[in-house]
Amino acid sequence: MLTAQNLHYCVAQRPIVDEVSLQVKPGEMLAILGPNGAGKSTLFKILSGEVNCKRGLISYNDSGLKDLKPADLAKIRAVLPQHTQVNFPFTAEEVIQLGLHQVKSSKHAQILSEVIAITQVGKFRDKLYQQLSGGEKQRVQLARVLCQIWENKPFPRYLLLDEPTSSLDIAQQHAVLKILKKLTERNIGVVIILHELNLAAQYADRIALLKDGTLQKWGNVKEIMDEELLERVFDHPVQLIPYPCAAGCFVASGGFISANHTINQA
Amino acid sequence: MILSLQTKSRTQAARLSLMGLSLLLVCTASLCLGAYAIPLENTLSILFNTLGLESSNFELSQANVLLQIRLPRILLNLLIGGGLGIAGAALQGMFRNPLVEPGLIGVSSGAALFAIIFIVFIAGGTSAGFLASLGLPIFAFIGGLVHVAAVFKLSNNQGTSDTATLILAGIAINAFAGALIGLVLFFADDSALRSFTFWSLGDMSGATWQKIPFALLLIGIPSALIMQKFKELNALALGEQEAFHMGVPVNQVKIQLLISSALIVGVGVSMVGIIGFVGLVVPHLVRLLFSADHRIVLPGSFLLGAILLNVADLIARLIVIPAEMPIGVITALCGAPFFIWLIFNLKKTKS
Repeated sequence: MLTAQNLHYCVAQRPIVDEVSLQVKPGEMLAILGPNGAGKSTLFKILSGEVNCKRGLISYNDSGLKDLKPADLAKIRAVLPQHTQVNFPFTAEEVIQLGLHQVKSSKHAQILSEVIAITQVGKFRDKLYQQLSGGEKQRVQLARVLCQIWENKPFPRYLLLDEPTSSLDIAQQHAVLKILKKLTERNIGVVIILHELNLAAQYADRIALLKDGTLQKWGNVKEIMDEELLERVFDHPVQLIPYPCAAGCFVASGGFISANHTINQA
Repeated sequence: MILSLQTKSRTQAARLSLMGLSLLLVCTASLCLGAYAIPLENTLSILFNTLGLESSNFELSQANVLLQIRLPRILLNLLIGGGLGIAGAALQGMFRNPLVEPGLIGVSSGAALFAIIFIVFIAGGTSAGFLASLGLPIFAFIGGLVHVAAVFKLSNNQGTSDTATLILAGIAINAFAGALIGLVLFFADDSALRSFTFWSLGDMSGATWQKIPFALLLIGIPSALIMQKFKELNALALGEQEAFHMGVPVNQVKIQLLISSALIVGVGVSMVGIIGFVGLVVPHLVRLLFSADHRIVLPGSFLLGAILLNVADLIARLIVIPAEMPIGVITALCGAPFFIWLIFNLKKTKS
């Protein structure tokens, strides 16, 4: 289990992340949502171990983050940052192979072929990374981080993603989230920052709502899908429209359409 | 899939051995040619004789020139050229910037500053003995290390070093050292000025067997150390945070690479002066010719650096017989236009 307790992070006396406590179980997808500047990315960096927080505890599978060496940590959790720039002429496949840094070389070929198949990057594996489109780059990076934790291990692993769908079209967005959903079956817990409420509602098991550095609410999707709560967090009128999906509703953020009107037309 | 991974490493091995072979050819040619030309069969005969195989198809003067003057010089070229190449590759990889060269972190300017201090203020008094032959290299080496330490200290912030600050600190320190060099030169006499000018353009003529063990130790070991870091450098190519996510102890690796590069370049500069462009161009060339995978970039840069410096030295020795051109002039004279060509060509292939 990935546990965060009372995380607190200040920049110039101003709290960016304030007393946040969370848990992520393996096999579960937690979506972190919130308006811009809510502290999502900082929380993400604290969880991944990149930033040390002054107060609070994080533990992966019951061992404290501070006690884990980078190499050991890398076997437990993989991270997909929002943007990754590659300055040297690596091919797509070479970038993906970098994810195998901590993996035994006898497993490389098998993991590589499975991950390339699931992320569908085979078509451009020999192309230079710099020449790929934004969406292709994102999938290559996803393949890289999948390589890192793909292998089945006796202990649960975790995958942290910072807005992985930001440069993808709708088909790709759903493709990526389906991959992540499938990943949870491999004893992997997924933490994902999302901006799109509907994607979160459809795929996540739990949602954490963050605003001004504090955790507003954390719970099952159904508990979070509350008009008043969402309106308060995002400072924007939100309407929930009944819709046959996992969350049971569709989030409309265009305040100008009345709910009745939409339903009548449908 | 397994097959493609295997063939990849096989082609890499083939490429590296090809480069090794060309290095051998260049070295042999370099042994034969020069102000005093030695025919190939005599050269081989001398080499066999030294190795213990009886062979007497040469004159004693030929053997002296070859063994006492050319061979140590070629070995030194090989070590320093290779060292500059691999240090350049390591620093470019570490800074994720293909424009970085060893001079940027202050090694060269630090070494130059301490060298000029030695030449102007100390060497004047002691003309012979241990201090004169090893004093300059030792001083230059210390200068290089002091500068790297200063640059690293300046850029260090709460245990992590920011790459952009590191480069800025390097530029600032370089400028400061340049000013101090000017100040010292103000007090220099004509002979000191002349010897500094030649030193700052690279001077291979001081190569003796005496220097080889030092070079072997202080360039060879750090080079081997860097060569083992190919995985870490590959991970760093994605970014420092990404490398950390993949399990690389980023700061530790950075310090190791920095110290190794400083050692290599400091020793190189101290022995033969400042040689520009090798550390910059060689890793580029290897990436262009083969791939950006550091598994091949690192050893490839060592071999190509060794080849290029030997070729440049050969040209420097042949072009104005019986005198010698400073080798730094040759590397920059050939290196700069080539680099410009490279940049424009790279643009074309990209677009």
